[in-house]
Formats: sequence, structure tokens, C-alpha cells
Amino acid sequence: MDFPIVEFPWFGNGNIVALIAIIHVLISHGVAIGATAIVVSTEYYAMQTKNAKLDQLAKQLTKWIVIITTTVGAMTGVGIWLSTMVIQPDSIGSLLRIFFWAWVTEWVIFIGEVVLLLIYYYTWEKWKEGKEKQKHLNIGIALVVFSWLTMAIITGILAAKLTPGRWVETLSFWNAFFNPTYLPSLAFRTFLAVTLTISLFTIFVRIFVKDEDVRLSLFRIFSVWGAISLPATFIFGLWYLKSIPEQAAKLIVWSTGLPEQTFNVLNFIAFGLIVVFLSWLVIRPKKLPVVLALGMFISAIGFIGEFEVVRESIRKPYIIYNYMYVNGITAAKAEAMNRDGYLAHSTIAKVKTITEENKIEAGREIYEGQCLACHTIDGWRSKRALANRLQGWPQKSIESFIPTMHQVRPMMPPFVGTKEEVEALAAYLYKVVNEQN
Amino acid sequence: MHILQLAIPPDFPLPIPGNLSLLEFLIVLTFILHIVFVNFTLSFATGAVALEGAGIVKKSKRLDDMARICSFHASIHKSIAVVLGVAPLLIISVIYTQYFYTSTLLIGKAWLSIIILLITAFLLLYLYKFSWEKWENKKGLHFFVGLVASVILLFIPLIFIVNIVSMLYPEKWASANGFFHSLIHYPQIWQRYAHFILASLAAGGFYMYFYFAWKQKKQPLSDVEQSLKMGGVKVTFWITLLQLLFGSLLLISFRRDIMLLFMGDDLLLTVLLLVSILLTIILCGLLYIVTKKDTPNVFYASVICFVLIVALMGWMRHEVRESYLQSYMDEHPRTLDVQKENVQPIK
Repeated sequence: MDFPIVEFPWFGNGNIVALIAIIHVLISHGVAIGATAIVVSTEYYAMQTKNAKLDQLAKQLTKWIVIITTTVGAMTGVGIWLSTMVIQPDSIGSLLRIFFWAWVTEWVIFIGEVVLLLIYYYTWEKWKEGKEKQKHLNIGIALVVFSWLTMAIITGILAAKLTPGRWVETLSFWNAFFNPTYLPSLAFRTFLAVTLTISLFTIFVRIFVKDEDVRLSLFRIFSVWGAISLPATFIFGLWYLKSIPEQAAKLIVWSTGLPEQTFNVLNFIAFGLIVVFLSWLVIRPKKLPVVLALGMFISAIGFIGEFEVVRESIRKPYIIYNYMYVNGITAAKAEAMNRDGYLAHSTIAKVKTITEENKIEAGREIYEGQCLACHTIDGWRSKRALANRLQGWPQKSIESFIPTMHQVRPMMPPFVGTKEEVEALAAYLYKVVNEQN
Repeated sequence: MHILQLAIPPDFPLPIPGNLSLLEFLIVLTFILHIVFVNFTLSFATGAVALEGAGIVKKSKRLDDMARICSFHASIHKSIAVVLGVAPLLIISVIYTQYFYTSTLLIGKAWLSIIILLITAFLLLYLYKFSWEKWENKKGLHFFVGLVASVILLFIPLIFIVNIVSMLYPEKWASANGFFHSLIHYPQIWQRYAHFILASLAAGGFYMYFYFAWKQKKQPLSDVEQSLKMGGVKVTFWITLLQLLFGSLLLISFRRDIMLLFMGDDLLLTVLLLVSILLTIILCGLLYIVTKKDTPNVFYASVICFVLIVALMGWMRHEVRESYLQSYMDEHPRTLDVQKENVQPIK
């Protein structure tokens, strides 16, 4: 515990990052990456078939891409970073040290992406005919490549958190970047982005594009992309699944908080839904029911939420696998803290030596440092609320559970600190749990 | 007790990834690029609202057209400003981790609010721009949308300024109590804010002059464009004169030993300051000439002056931080080489 603690007692600290990340993935994959690919191919198709109305529709879609990506998209992207600084400073700080130049490279490409997007939209009417139209299309193609490249870089960093591979031994940047799940997750995300775009955009096209001919042309383009992206998402998803560590794979169902049967049924239904939806789009695009498109829109958001929560949760008890626990403690820190005490090695701890008088205060500081990353006292997610989990526990039981919890519950990191610190933490938890109940 | 009170954490065991001087150069360079676009955004958004408001009061179509051009430029530059902000934030996180992370966490909730505030302001800016014709008969509402966006944009710099000023004062961390308290707890904050807001207005005015002078080479300017160009020059002239005063106010708000570095104690810093003041006076002179007689030579000279002043300001800003943190950094060194014993795998 080296930095001041910021607490979100009701919402839960981890949920803040999760919420921002889910919104960002929806937009970065579904709008910035997938939608630009579809829009540029629509412009190309309109050019080939001399379909001016379809060309205008592509322009309209681009306007929305500009509005969404340069506001919510960009700010949630920066927001993941701003929020992890506040919630998990040790983790994001370490990742920045490892991947600094990858982030710098991504930044340069990102500037290119934004500038290309602005040029692409604002020159639509200016570069309209012949060679100029071709130039406009080329800008679009460059935009698609740039937006995919930003993902190709960030995926290296994200994947390394789950599978840092040889990095933990060699500390080599390249080992960290080209880690065991890099390629499968990048392939999965690439096609997921396109599938997501189709799932998210169809409802809006169905409702707001009144001209039937234009709508059907766009749906035709959606179908072609979907015929490629859905099977590819599925196949690469399986490859990704097979490449994650066994211990992590075991936590998938648990991460969602659902019973296994419900989890299986829900995912099966969702898969069935998208197959029906795409088939409908191919076979009878004229009669695509609004309800089906809406159902697809909602379940796509649900799926991304599930994917993000699972991806973040199955890393437990780590935040950087085999290097840093979810509460920011590393092997070297754990060793020193078990020897001299957790508080003695915590820069901001006010209590350094525990006495009867300051025991509760010491317990609170230990709770903030070691538990807060995942737990709340009385937050809305009852599974993580200690007032719920420890209800009715005598203080002695809490005390004897803490040193062994990581064996009973493998998703929890081991407690670090001295025997007195265990007692202080137990005393604090017992007190607040009973005050709540 | 001393260390406990200051609460400066040890640096991470993973080393700073690169040559420190190179990173310092990059942080100055990328911060300047970022802040100039922030200046443009802020100045065009507030400028558009002010012009639209004046247009409503005076029932002037011409002012409304000027406002509309400003709003167009604001929404484009805000996208660039955000993107360019990533690099300096990346570098400050990496080379000043011990100070910057602590100062950020001390105002954690205000820091997180930046996300919501900026999304809101940016969406409102788009609404403001794209609804200009549609809401021609709802001028009050349209003006209000721009006003809210501008107020948010004027507020956000305070969060950043509190953060980067607070990182200079570890001895004041223990007695700080959240964002709003920090506004009065740390010195320099309001001086920096005033200096920054004025710089934004000046940069925006200068941009208008630059942009339309450049455009004029290709095609004659419309009446409205000409007004924006000359209006820009006037704004920049008067604001830059004011900056001589507000810059001095900022200088005297520094800790005395640091202020004196710029007043003879350090040769380099003193020269930097003197040159920047001199260039500012020259720029004012050139802008004054522009108002009387606009020629290409004056235009180029003023652009060079402007770029040099901005560069010197960015450089001095960095030196101020280094001077403040020097003694702390000596005591709490940064990790420049990997500490293998502290970077062990968990088995």
C-alpha cells in the first residue's frame, strides 16, 4: 500500500474499471474497427455499382463513427487508463514500465487513425469524382489498417496480463509482447469486431434507413461480412480458449457468477440467436423483424460484458499472472511483508506498530490495502460484500480463515503480514460486519 | 517520522524504460503539442459562445457566422487535443511515478470525473455544431448547449493543474483533503490557471490569424473570415500584453529559492526567461504592425516568434518541476536499472 486509497464503497473498486472497459470494447471493436471496415467496403461497393444513395448512407454512418469514437470511444480508452491509475496503481504502473514503447507506438498510430478518420469524413463531398474518389477510398482503407493496428498493439499488453509467458524469467519486452495468447486473442478480436458491428448496427439501419433499396444493399454487405466473421470468431475463440492457463480456464463459469447450467444455456441461446439472425439477414433481409435486430443488439452488449468480466476475473488471484497479485503485491514484497509486517512496508499506513488501541485502525488499513481491490463491506454485488460473506462468523473463525483462504479459495491471493496483522484485520472485519448486520 | 509524513513511495522495481534525458525531451515536446490544441479547443468553444451571445444581443448575423466558424474548429481540435494528451500522460506516469501517482490518487474521484466531464462536453460540442441551422429558431437553447460545454471545458484544467501542482509539494500531501480543498491548499494553482486560460485565448486568436492568412493565399477571404482574422490578431495582442503581468504573478508565487533561479541564481533559467519576455514584446510589436499593415514578412516573423515563445514556456515549465522535485528525487531515487531481486516470479 504505497499510494493513497480511493474507495467506492457501494459500487466496488473493480467495477469502476470494468464498466469503463466494457463501454470501450463495445466502441473500439464495434465502431472504430469493425464499422470502419464495413463503411469503407460499402463506399467501395457503392462506387462499383454507381449507387449514390448507398454512398450517402456510408457517409452518414461515418458521421456517427466520428461522433461516437472521438467522444465516448476516445475518452473511455483514456478512461481505462485514468481509472486503473486510481484503482490499481501498482499494476498499471508496472505495465507502463514494461510496455512503454509499445504504448508510444500505439499512440503514434492512434493519432494517424484519428487524423485519417477526420479527413475521411470531412472530404467526402470534396473528393467525389473519378481519381479523387479513389483517393478518398484509399484514405478509408488506410483508416481501417490503422484502427486494426492500434488493436494489434494493445492486445499484446492485455494478453500479457493473463499469460506473460517467458517474461517473468527473462523480463524481455518481446517475450512479454509475443506471449502465448497474443495471436489467438488478436485473431479472435479481429473477427469479433466485425460480428459486433453487424449486431450493433442492424437495429439502427432497420429503423432509420427508410429507403428499402439502400437498406437491402447495406444488409447484403453485412451478410457477406457476417458469413466470414461469425465462423471465424467461433473458430479463433476456441483457439483462444484452448491457449489460456488451465487454472484460469477453470474460473470461467465462476467469473460470471452464474450456475454452470444457466451459463451453458445462456451462451447456447446467444449463439443460436446470432445464427438465426445472420441467416435471416441472408435469406429474407426484407422482412428482418425489428425484435430480432433489437435482441441481437442487446445480447451483443451482454456478450461483450460477459467477455470482459470473464477476461478480467479468470486472472485471479493475479493481476499480472505469476508476477503481481490482484492487490498489487509481488513475490518480493510478500517476502518482506511476511517478515517485517504489511504495515511496516506500506508507505501511507499511519499505524506502523499495532497496539490494543489502534488495532481496529490497523485492521482498516490492511483491509484497504489487501481486500478492497475485489471486496466491499456492503456493496451492491452481494457475493463480494463482506457483510454478507462473513455474516455470523465469530472473530476467531475469521482469524483462522485468513491465513488459509488462498488454499480454500484459489482465486484469492494469500494474506501477507504478521500474526498481529491477521488479528487486527479479523478484529476490524468482525466489527464492521456486525455493525452492518 | 520525516518520511512517514511525506509519504513518498519507493519507485517500482521495474526500471524506467529508456534514456531519462530522451524521455524528458519527449515530455516537453509532446506536452507542448497537446496543450496548444487544448488551447485552441478552449478558445474556440468559449469564443463561439461569446460571439453567438453577442450576435443574439445585437441581432447580428455576422457575429453568428463568426461563432459558427469557431464552433467548427473547436470540435475538430478537441479530437486532436485528446489524442495528443496521451503521450505526456504516459511519460509523466513513467518518470515521475512516485509523485504523480500519489498526487492523482489524492484527488482520485475528481480525476475520474474527467472521463464523464469530457464525454459530456464533447458530445455537447457536436450537438452545438451540428444543430446550428436546425435550431435557428431555438437560439436560446442552442446558446445554452454551447455555454454548458464551455463551462465544463473551463473547469477541467483545474483538475489537471491541481494534480501537477500537488505533485510538487509532497510536504503538503498529508494536510490536503480532496480536490476542492486542494484548490486553496497549494500555492500557484490560480496563477497557473489564469496564465493558462489567457494563453488559450491568445493561441486561439493567433490560430485564426494564421489559418486565414494561409487561406488568403489561395482565395480571397469573405467578410466574416476577414473579421475573424483581424479579430484574432487583436485578441492575441491584448492578451499577450496581459500575460506579461500574469506571467510575473506566477513567477512570484513560486517558492522563493525557485523564483530566484529565474532571477540570476541559475544562468540558463534566467536567460530562458529573459529571452521569452523579449520575444513576447517583439510578438506584440509585430501584431501591432499587422493591425496597421499586413504583409507576408510580418506574418512569418510572428509565426516564428509564437512558436519560440511556446517552446520556451514548455521548457521552463519542465525546469520548474525538476527544481521543485530535485531534493526529493535525491532522497527517493528512481529505478533506472532493473532490481532483479525485487522482480521475482510468484511460483
